[in-house]
Order: sequence, then structure tokens, then C-alpha cells
Amino acid sequence: MLLVPCPYCGPRNAADLRYVGEARRRPDPNGVEPAEWRDYLYLEDNPAGWLRETWYCRAGCRRYFTLERNTATNEFRSPPLPGSKLGGTA
Amino acid sequence: MADRPAFESPVVGDYPVADGDLALTDASSVTKLLVRAAEGTAAARGLEVGFGRSRPAGDALVCGQRPGEWMVLGSSRAAEAVIDGLDRTGHVSVVDHTHARAMFRLTGERTTAVLEKVCSLDWADEMTPDGAVVSASVAKVVCDIVRHDVVRRDGGRTPSYLIACDRSFGQYLFDAIVDAGHEHALAVAPPSLDF
Amino acid sequence: MTGRRLPVQPGELIDRSSPVSFTWDRKRLAGFAGDTIASALVANGVSVVSRSMKYHRPRGYLTADYWDPNGFVQVGDEPNVRSGHRLVEGGMVIEPQNAWPSLDHDVKAANGLVGRFLSAGFYYKTFIRPRRLWPAYEKVLTTFAPGGRVDPDTPHGYHDKRYAHPDVVVAGGGPAGMAAAVGAAEAGADVMLVEHDHGVGGHLRWGGDRERALAAELRTAVAAAGVEVLTDSTVTGRYEDNWIAVVQRSHPVAVERLVKARAKVLIVAPGLIERPYVFAGNDKPGVMLSGAVRRLINLYAVKPGERAVVLTANADGDAAARDLERAGVEVARIVDAREGGTVVAAHGSARSVSTVELGDGSRVAADLLVTAVGWTAPTSLLNMAGDRPVYDETTARFFPAADVDTVLTTGGLAGDGSLDQLVEHGRATGRLAAERAAVVGHRLRTATARARPLEGPEPAWPVDEREPLPRDPHPALFRSSSHGIVDFSEDVSSKDLVAAAEEGYDSVELLKRYTTATMGPAQGKLETVNTVAVLAEARRQTIGEVGTTVWRPPYAPVTLGALGGRVFEPVRVSSIQPWHEANGAVPIVAGAWIRPEHYGHPEAEVRNTRERVGITDVTPLGKLDLQGPDVARLLNHLYTNTWTKLAVGSVRYGIMCADDGVVLDDGVTGRLADEHYLMTTTSSGAATVWEWVENWLQTEHPDWQVHVTPVTTGYTSINVAGPRSRELVARLVADVDLDPAAFPYMRVRTGTVASVPNCVMWRIGFTGELSFELHVPSGHGLHVWQSLLDAGADLGVRPFGLEAQRIMRLEKGHFVVGQDTDGLTKAPTTGLTALIKLDKEDFVGKPELAWAVDGDGSHLVALQPTDPSELPAEAAQIVRTGTNEIIGRITSSRMSPTLGRSICLGQVAPEASTPGAVVTVVMLDGRRITARVMEHHAHFDPEGERLRG
Repeated sequence: MLLVPCPYCGPRNAADLRYVGEARRRPDPNGVEPAEWRDYLYLEDNPAGWLRETWYCRAGCRRYFTLERNTATNEFRSPPLPGSKLGGTA
Repeated sequence: MADRPAFESPVVGDYPVADGDLALTDASSVTKLLVRAAEGTAAARGLEVGFGRSRPAGDALVCGQRPGEWMVLGSSRAAEAVIDGLDRTGHVSVVDHTHARAMFRLTGERTTAVLEKVCSLDWADEMTPDGAVVSASVAKVVCDIVRHDVVRRDGGRTPSYLIACDRSFGQYLFDAIVDAGHEHALAVAPPSLDF
Repeated sequence: MTGRRLPVQPGELIDRSSPVSFTWDRKRLAGFAGDTIASALVANGVSVVSRSMKYHRPRGYLTADYWDPNGFVQVGDEPNVRSGHRLVEGGMVIEPQNAWPSLDHDVKAANGLVGRFLSAGFYYKTFIRPRRLWPAYEKVLTTFAPGGRVDPDTPHGYHDKRYAHPDVVVAGGGPAGMAAAVGAAEAGADVMLVEHDHGVGGHLRWGGDRERALAAELRTAVAAAGVEVLTDSTVTGRYEDNWIAVVQRSHPVAVERLVKARAKVLIVAPGLIERPYVFAGNDKPGVMLSGAVRRLINLYAVKPGERAVVLTANADGDAAARDLERAGVEVARIVDAREGGTVVAAHGSARSVSTVELGDGSRVAADLLVTAVGWTAPTSLLNMAGDRPVYDETTARFFPAADVDTVLTTGGLAGDGSLDQLVEHGRATGRLAAERAAVVGHRLRTATARARPLEGPEPAWPVDEREPLPRDPHPALFRSSSHGIVDFSEDVSSKDLVAAAEEGYDSVELLKRYTTATMGPAQGKLETVNTVAVLAEARRQTIGEVGTTVWRPPYAPVTLGALGGRVFEPVRVSSIQPWHEANGAVPIVAGAWIRPEHYGHPEAEVRNTRERVGITDVTPLGKLDLQGPDVARLLNHLYTNTWTKLAVGSVRYGIMCADDGVVLDDGVTGRLADEHYLMTTTSSGAATVWEWVENWLQTEHPDWQVHVTPVTTGYTSINVAGPRSRELVARLVADVDLDPAAFPYMRVRTGTVASVPNCVMWRIGFTGELSFELHVPSGHGLHVWQSLLDAGADLGVRPFGLEAQRIMRLEKGHFVVGQDTDGLTKAPTTGLTALIKLDKEDFVGKPELAWAVDGDGSHLVALQPTDPSELPAEAAQIVRTGTNEIIGRITSSRMSPTLGRSICLGQVAPEASTPGAVVTVVMLDGRRITARVMEHHAHFDPEGERLRG
């Protein structure tokens, strides 16, 4: 089982996390065109290679975070530091 | 109005109570106060312990349960004393989780042998030393776990873990741990508020 | 049958002081404790143990170990037992498999006569057309399929599961594996050594004095180093990040135990597996590999035959010849492959070899033909780690391409050499593994919040400075000049493979799937290399050019019991569950919750609630505590309606949609204090909504100051409903004014109920009755429930269950998310368009809802069948009258005890949704009935006078 480097807990079994999906930006809901909105809803890039993706540490710290993973090798790039926007003294 | 009625434990099964080197105790009635405090608040500083670690505070235990989130455990008097001592300026909140969480204490030299049957974490001393705080799936229920070793009369320490889960899962989880401990002669000790 | 037990052998594993008695094929036989089933059978002179899968040819032992393709037997109610591995026990009832009516007279052996029709791809070609006959074919084929019997009444044993985090896992307990375990442990690593046989030692055990002495020495060192040794255990797979699956058999408390080990470093040391030789008659009983005869003689003191021919290409074959002579077997001829000797055919009856035809044309009478033609490197675990082994012509076997960082190889997989060299290589591998594990451990601890902090920088990554093992030349011997069996488990011959290659299935992966070679229980351990070699010969290429198949998990077949382990199925109950159980509640499972469906009479429960007062346990209702200055902002974002003006003490209903506009959940939220709210969700949506709210807060709006805390089971929730509910609640509540003017509908109060402080009460009502929903701190839930029953006895209070709740909510026309809506139902479909405020700056799903003002093309309506006694099933189709065109479906239906008629909710196309319209509903039995579309969703009290009372 894949070890996912949770930036808060440390490496955890993938089963402890929920894979949220590719990290994506939510378009401004005002004035957005249907095509752009539905691209956000349904269309993933699904590259064989480096991908920014969101995980949720369900059984651990319960934080959402973004990591870069190589989908071909399951290698993780050093994760970004814990979000400064979040509370905590981690 | 009459006095407040007695606390009802989520664990209602009938267990032969015995003494043993490896014991499971229902500690659900321990007061559990959940503090949330944003980074930079006086309260966050005042709690003095980071995510993943715990520290005693008087007769209570302050556990850094998640980033920006602490659980204060103890008697209601001890736990409330910690809260009363906090500067609650800014975005700080407190929720009494006493009734929301079942909590058990698993104590004994062979606790690791039981835990590794129900949880995928590494319980070695270097990875989960005394004072460690961690959340993990135990028998498929998400639990908050604190390693809180017991000081013996001879001064030595016996590994001990406080395991808390949603109250509604309490009975199930208690039985799952009892089952896992069977081969290691796990005994069910009487409910306790002791810390 | 003649006894073949030898005098005491120096390395024997049997305990002659413990005789055991068992039955084989309904005959009583004797063996000793320590015997495998195979050694006990051979000791009793049994030569035929099974029939082959396709041709039902008699088969005897080939390898007499775990991998023997011919040794599958039924033991009691357990099928497919590997008799070369399983130890015999007193009282065992052992039967042959795959033989009907008996091993001696198998009618299906006739297949052998028509063998040419059962060639490669036979099943595909013959039975695929015509499709309509497949059921008939299947029936016939099933009776011919191999395998034992599964008794459905077999009790489930205790199959256990545990996790482990060793620094180093060593797969294989031969000399190199043991030395590696010792080397790693002595360098400070925490080591788990896994050996699939019953004892460690590997081939040292059936060697001479020197080998046995070394085995004893290594065993002592392993024990002294504190290595955890799992014998009779198999590493069945290596997964991402060294997640190692180990199946531990013959465990003291479990039938089997699956160990999930997260190893920092894996050492692969499975040794080499002896490869059969392909020639005519190579599957006749009496043809054995050198390892088989050496194990039988040295470990079990069993004489494998009377007169032998030995084909040898290596030292093991030479040693086998010496063992045979010592055991009193007449060695009629030693054929040395290194000098060009070979075997062309084994002749004899179907049941045994009698003559061996050699390459020089001579024929030698013998009942035993022993071959030692080389080795297969079981590189499976390395394949699983991403390695692609390379064929080495000098040694005629595959080698790992390279050791990766945390997966190291030692022993026969890594090379040859003397015992001393093997042991030294093992130790060096162990030391390297320990050093690398220490670095991995350093990384893990540094990254893990709870771990004990470490001093100092990360150590450098240890470089592999091991002295490589030499590679001893070995002749390449795969197939003789004749054709024979390549895959013994699947009954695939070299002729089949050549034919398949000629048909165009000439890539090794295609060939494997087409012929099923390497797909049987031996999983390629015996047959992969011969398959590749035969294909290479047919393609006139080298083995290196053909390449090999990819070995995937499992290394050896795994029982379903081992994979299942102890099954964890968490269940949730409310504090009142003991009362429910003691008072005849019929339970229903809803998600993880066990809840009372009813207490005997759901209709009576409805009537009692409508006429007097009822109480029901609604604890599973999701509850989120929300605190902070930005809660109203958050609620505005999550719900489709507006929350900015909700006053303290008030409660509001709302619908949540996902960003695709589809209804996600609904519920009420009340404002308890200025910056403190309590949100309720559906029971099934509680976890999803919580994670969803956290996602919005953490990723989209981290600047909003709101703390969300799930308190679902912090409160025991009790709904008190019915015309006398106020009277009942008033008897237990002193500190809240319950007067309708002071505490009207859709308001929330906090107070003390039955001496329990900090209860939340709100006036809402999905039952349509005057009702109070009490949220009581759970440690007093049962007390409050009992107090309500005691205090309201004279008012006629009775509990009601989930079914009565469902009936009453349907009478009131309240939809249930997930039942009356589905994964396509957008909010406007529910009809609650007044709750969608498109003028808000933003909320989840806003754009889709703006584009779908009319919903998803159907409308949720209340329906009443014209004939009040007709009750359409939920999910019954609604069709356009007179046609089969589906225009909707019934989503909820019940007989209403209050109205005395059937009532429904359904989704219908807009044109059929006007009040008064009559639609056609197709009943499950095909009859068509009519139903009328109602003006309101509520079938009962549409003005809501009762609940506002």
C-alpha cells in the first residue's frame, strides 16, 4: 500500500486518506460559462507523470492538502509546507 | 430539580472482570473538552503543546490532537481549570466532548501485540513514545489515541494508551479490542476515572 | 503396497516414537509425526496420488514439496491441500482429487485417448460457438474441472490479521537468508525472517554432515540475534513502499494469520527452484527431480524407488545419486548431461516407469528416473518491486537486473559459489539492509509528528559494497528431442506450445494466456522457464530475446480466509439501544447504525403518535456544532437559501447541493447564540457533509473563522411528537417556557430535561405533529428516554420506530434525500424553488441551478392511486398512458394508516405534473393502474396546522 506523506502527520497508509482528485481551481460562479464550469466539474487531465492532487487525511489530522505525485512511479515531490492559512502550531 | 443523573457508559456488555498484566478499562466518563484555537491566538500559545504531543496540566492532560485542535482530558474540575486559565481572545472555541466520545485505557507490557491486530500504525517506542498523540483507524473506526504510560509503584513505567472514538461506536470498539486481546490474556478491569 | 521406510537417517525430521494413523483413499495407513502427507504416502508404497487436470493421467510426486503440481489432495473438508508440504496428523482423512470414480479407474482418462483434440486453445475453439449451447457445455466442463470439494457447512476458523513494522523482512530461510537475518539483527535492525517450509535451513537440511552442522550453527545465531522467525509462512506479495503480505500458516491461535508488514528494507532470498526436464513420459509416476529424492531420503527416511536412472547436470544430481546408493536404491545408470548424456523418454504403463530410453539409444530398466537439469530463479518479489530479470546464458537462468534501494537480493537468486561465500554474501546483505533501514527510519521519524524527536542530520545513504557472488556455468537443458509436459498443473505439453506459437500466439504473454501454461497453482515456479525455452526454440530465438512473463502477486495461492482475516464491521448504536433491545424493537441496519424499525406494529405507532404522543430515537441524525464569527457566511455558502437574518433562538430548513446542482443533503440549522449554531444533516449524510464543509473551509475559504465539530453522538436525540407532546415535555422541563407564544414552531431553546442540563430542544416536525426534538447529552440519553415514558404513561406515550417515521413523513410529503432524489436530481425538481436564492453572491451549485431553473426535467409530486387499496412498489415506473414510454417513477409509497389509503411521492415529467393530472403506474406484476397528481406534497394536513399548534 502506498505511503502518502501527509504534511502534518507524516507518512501514512493511503487507506488512512481519501483521494479527493486533481487539485483544481473553482471558477468564479458569477458570469462563468457552462463549458468552463463543467470542465471544472468533470474533466480531469489525468497525465502519466507529475500531477498536483488533493488528499484528505481522513483517519489522521483531517486536513486537506495538495501534493505533487508522479502517477507513473507513485513518487511524491517534497510536499509544500503546512498551509499557513490553517490554525495550529504543528 | 433532582441531582444530575449518573453517567451512562456506552459499554454495557457483561464482562468477567479480572486483574491481569494486560487490561482494558472503560474510561468514557472522563471529561473531554475540545479546544479549537487559531494559530497566533493567546490560547494556542497557552496550551503549550503541538500537534502529536501531550503534556500534563495539573491533574489534566492537554493533547495536541490535530493542528489547531486540543483535547483536554481529566476530571471535570481539572479539565475546566485548564479552560478557565485560557485567554480566549480571538477565534477560540470549546466544545464539551465528554458525551460525544467513548474512551478506553489499554495498559500492559503487551499492549503493542493487541494494538497491532487492530491498527496499522507503528507502536514502537521511537515512533509512538510516551506522550504521543495520534489519530488512526482502529478496527475500522477512526480513533484518537494518546500514549499515557502508567507509573508503577516501583517507579517503572507500563505502556498505556487512551483510545477514544465516537460514542456510538464504543461498544463495538470495546468488543473488537477484547477479541484482539484474547490470545494475550487481556482482562477487562472495572471502569475508571483514574489518570 | 510395500513399506519403503529406511533405517534412521542423520538429518531426518520424523519422530519415530510418535506413529500416526491416517486414511488415504479409504485405506488405513501409518506414518510418523514429522512426515509430510507425501512422505507418509511414499513410505507406504503409494506411487499414484492424483490424476492430471485435462487428460486425467495418473501422476506421482515430482518435487515432493510445496510446489509439487501433482500432490493436491482433499483433507477432510479442506480441498487443494499441498501434500508435499502439509504435515500428516493422526486421524487425517486424505482423499485424492480430480479422480472419478476412483484413482485406479478414472473414466475421464479416456481424454488421454483423444488428447489431440484437447490441444492448445481447445476449450476456446470448441465451446465458444454456438453461444446458445454454452450452458450445456459449462455443465459438462464443470464435472471435468479439477479441484477438491468445498463443504458449505465447514465452520469458519479464526483467521487472524496483524500489522508489523520490522526494519528488515527476509523472505527465505535458507543459508543466505538466515545469514542475512543475523547480519541485519547484529547491526541493530529489528528483523522478521519468513520461511515457507516448516523449519529454516533450506537445502542444508538434506545435505551432508557439513551442511547440517552449518544449518545448526545458523539456527543458533538466528535465535541469539533476536530475529522473529515465521516458519510455514509465505511472503505472498511485495507492494508499494515495501508493504509486505505474509501468510502465516499453522499459527497457535489462528487457522492462518495474514501479516501486513511495512518493511523498511526487504531481502529476497527464496533460493532456487529445481526445474523439470521436458521429454516424452516426463509426467509418469516414477519421474522425480533430484530435490524430491534427496528430501524423501534425508528428511523422511523414505526410499523413493528400487532401481534408478539419474540424469545429472550439476552437483545436486550427483549428490542425489550418492543418496540413492546409500539408501539401497540400485543406481542402474548415471547419465551425465555435462558430457552430452540425455534422456529421450520414460516408458512403462500409465502408472509407472519401467524403462528409460537414453539419448544414445540404449534402454535401461528402472522404476525411478531422477533428473537434475537446472534451476528456476523465483524472482517474483523482485518483479513486484519493479525489477525485470535478465537471462544469463552461462548459468542458464534468470538474474535480477539490479537491486533497488530498499529491496536487496541474496542467495541463489544472486549467484552461486561455496557455502561460505553464500553465508558471507547473506551477512553483508543483512548489514547493508540494516544500515539502509536506519536511514529510512530516520526519515520516517523526522517526518512523523508524534515520533520521538531525533538529533542530527540524516545519515548518508549506504552504498552497496557487497562482493558479488560468482556465477557457476551450467548447461542449458530444457527440452530433450521428444515432447513432454511443460506445465504439469495445467497439463500443457511442449507440443501444445509449439502448436500455439505456429498459430501466431508467439509472444510469451499471449502464449501464456492462450495455453494457460504457468497459470496453475505452481504459478510458474516449475514451468515458466521451460515455457519460454520451448517458445524460443519454436521462434528460433534465444531465451533472452523471448523474455519472460511478469510474476505478479501472489507468490503462492492464498486462501480466501487469510485474505478476509478478522472482518471488522463497525456498528453504531444510540445510548437507548439497550432499552430498544429489551423492549422488542425489530432492528434495521441503516449504514453502520442499528436502529429500531418498529416495536411490533408500525401502523399502531403512527396512530398513537397522531392521536396521543409518541417518542422516537433519532440519534443518528447528523449534528455539527458550528462556532465563530463567520458561521452565517458559511451557511449562506452551503445552503441554497439565505441565512444572514436567522435570529438567535430560531431554526431554519435548507437544502444543500453539490457544485453540479444535484441535491446533496438537507436539514435544519438553529442559532443557539450569537456565534454558535447547531446544524443537522440526514443520518446517512452526516459524515459526507462534515468532510464537505471542512473542504470548503480549508481549501476555498481558509479566511472564514468557523470551527466545525461533529457532535452526532454527543447528543442522544429524541423526537417527542403528537398532540400531547407539549404536555409531556412540560412535565420534565422547568427552565424553558413551552407556551406556544414563547416557544413557537421553528424555534430552538436550551435547557434542562429530566434534571439533565445542556439539552437542546427545537420545535420542528417531520411527522407533521406538534413536536419537540430533544438533544440530550448522550451519557444521560437512556435516563431521559425512560423519564419520558414514566412521566407520560397516563398520556398514552409510546415509542415509535423508523417505519412509523417514514409513514408519517410521507403522509406529510417530506422528501428524503437519496430516496425521493437521486444522483441526477437538481434542487428545482423538489419543487422548493423558493429556497433557491440566485441573488446570493455565491453558494455551492449556484451556476448549475441558474442554468437549470426547471430542474433536471422532472418534478417531484405527491400521487394517490385512484384505487386506494392499490400500493405501487417503490421504483415502479410511471408511463405515458397507453404507451410504454417511461415518464417517471414512484420514489416512496406506503399505506397511510391515517388516511386509510395508499399514498406516494414520485418524480414525473413536467407535462404530467399538474395537479389533477392522472398518470399510469406499472405494477410489479405488469398490471397498470392510475394515480392522480396531488396539489400539495402533503397528503395530510397540508396547511400544517397541527405542527404549529
